[in-house]
Amino acid sequence: MDLPGPIHDILVVFIGSVLVLGGLGVVLLTNPIYSAFSLGLVLICISLFYISLNSYFVAAAQLLIYVGAINVLILFAVMFMNGSEYSNDSYLRTIRDGVTSLICTTILFSLMATISDTSWYGILWTTRSNQIIEQELTNNVQQIGIHLATDFFLPFELISIILLVSLIGAITMARQ
Amino acid sequence: MFLLHEYDIFWAFLIISSLVPILAFWISGVLAPVREGPEKLSSYESGIEPMGDAWLQFRIRYYMFALVFVVFDVETVFLYPWAMSFDVLGVSVFIEAFIFVLILIGGSVYAWRKGALEWS
Repeated sequence: MDLPGPIHDILVVFIGSVLVLGGLGVVLLTNPIYSAFSLGLVLICISLFYISLNSYFVAAAQLLIYVGAINVLILFAVMFMNGSEYSNDSYLRTIRDGVTSLICTTILFSLMATISDTSWYGILWTTRSNQIIEQELTNNVQQIGIHLATDFFLPFELISIILLVSLIGAITMARQ
Repeated sequence: MFLLHEYDIFWAFLIISSLVPILAFWISGVLAPVREGPEKLSSYESGIEPMGDAWLQFRIRYYMFALVFVVFDVETVFLYPWAMSFDVLGVSVFIEAFIFVLILIGGSVYAWRKGALEWS
């Protein structure tokens, strides 16, 4: 998006903080339905990040598939559980908690160091050099549609067969 | 008046449509008289005494609908870029997308005949 600099930064920081709070809510909330809804909030924030990075199709696909399908399935799976099975233990610190938190903070800091050290501009300019000028007139999603229908027509039809097979398989397994 | 100037009407619409339900609830909360009693505080069940538990068991039929919805949602994700570029593509692409939808309608008929879409 072509937003001015500080507004873009404020938007990114705001969406990022909502995402981090949602992630903490998924892990720390005791009611599993609350944590499933918090997961939905995290996936919506990721979709807003994709919009701010000009990937409109990925944002729409993220909303449709992750929030609309996968999060709904997670919610339904959570609702099969009974209410009396909610864990009531207080914050008992075990060895397992310490090892897990150590591994997760190590991954976090290594990711922060790697992302700030990679030269992203080098990768971006090498992929931008082989784009045709006429493609600037069509939208991002339209280009995906054009490629999908002309270059990748056979995989498009095979995808429908894969979806058919998965539908038949899912119904057959769920009926038992 | 805000940023992204071609979306002015959209931001105005968004603000007004967020304010309307907030104002509706707040005004009725302010103006309505509050008289509580034991009869008023019990839950409503079409005029009779409430019987049974409020929590129902979750049935498998709800999950079958979510499952069928997932597959057709993925189909929608593939139809979305085709629909966006529909005007620059020709008739042959229309036939291809028609075959795509036809194969998935076959799957829908299978789900229907196998009773995955029964509600009761």
